[in-house]
Amino acid sequence: MIGTGDRGRSPLHAGPRTKPAIANSRVPSGTEQLCLQVQQLSLRQQMERNHFLLERLHASSARLIQSLETGDAFEAVAEIIGNLIGSEEVAIFDYCASNETFSLAWSWGVEPVAMRHFTSGAGMFGRAVREGTSQFRERQPEHLLLPSENQLTACVLLKSSHEVIGIIAIFGLLPQKNRLEWTDYELIKFLETYATIAIQFQRLQTKQVAP
Amino acid sequence: MERLRKCVTEEEKSREKSIPRGQRMREMATKKILLVDDSCTARLVNRMIFSQKTNYELISAVDGKEAVERAQREKPDLILMDIVMPRMTGLEACRALKKDKETEKIPIILLTTRGEERFVQEGYASGCSDYLTKPVNDAELLDLLKAYLGE
Repeated sequence: MIGTGDRGRSPLHAGPRTKPAIANSRVPSGTEQLCLQVQQLSLRQQMERNHFLLERLHASSARLIQSLETGDAFEAVAEIIGNLIGSEEVAIFDYCASNETFSLAWSWGVEPVAMRHFTSGAGMFGRAVREGTSQFRERQPEHLLLPSENQLTACVLLKSSHEVIGIIAIFGLLPQKNRLEWTDYELIKFLETYATIAIQFQRLQTKQVAP
Repeated sequence: MERLRKCVTEEEKSREKSIPRGQRMREMATKKILLVDDSCTARLVNRMIFSQKTNYELISAVDGKEAVERAQREKPDLILMDIVMPRMTGLEACRALKKDKETEKIPIILLTTRGEERFVQEGYASGCSDYLTKPVNDAELLDLLKAYLGE
């Protein structure tokens, strides 16, 4: 009886349906119990990781929203990177598409003079603009890195409707942090969009205030 | 056995009924933690961890000076404190709190980005009970709090 589901089943055919119930009532062997426990543990770990990430995304979002009022979008970005990703060496660059240059807009924990060497043509900065995606040092072939990019961990591309407006350069990680983790990549993805909005908002506000 | 189980359940229910809800909440939130950090992001994350995963009461301060004042006034059960802060650093605040008879017994956990050995040693020398580095791992932090404050 196609399309009727169980409604068309005769009680006489109820036999096979009881089989799984019998199978379920069987006491699981030691190995099966162990497998179940491992599965449960793995699920729990995944849930905890997701919870951990959501907490951080929520806090980052709240901080960026707060920056709309306080006008400290750059500081907010640095706080998020310092407290949640684990780097106290951050620089934010503006990108000028007409002459393909980067200019330092703000920095924290790095020498501003050392920031002159980043050009849009080559290295991670150039690739970020060309490919339209953030670049990470650990995913770069060694021979493509510029000498000035030795300390660079990530180039976070700030993009607004396909237009590159700048880059957040994350340099050295904190000594107790060896590498970027899964949650860090997710936070960086978040920053690509939301930090762009906060920074642009701040710029528009400055323009509006200035006659 | 069944009767015994029923009895215990009823006993629990009657106890719950006899204690007003407000009082039950107060009983659960007996431990008070003072969180000191000049970073709003850090305060937000920690507030979220505490509100969702614990029953501890959380109060906060934005620098060492405010931390000392709040600790003297509110006598928290534990202080979680950043090191690099304006007006008064975490290390200075830690020393000040340990000098004061009223606050000397409050355990202080320093929570900072400074993970280098010399900073850790300096932290312990200032009188802190423990030292955690940022970015904070929820589980590690909660385990440490449990160790000091109980469940």
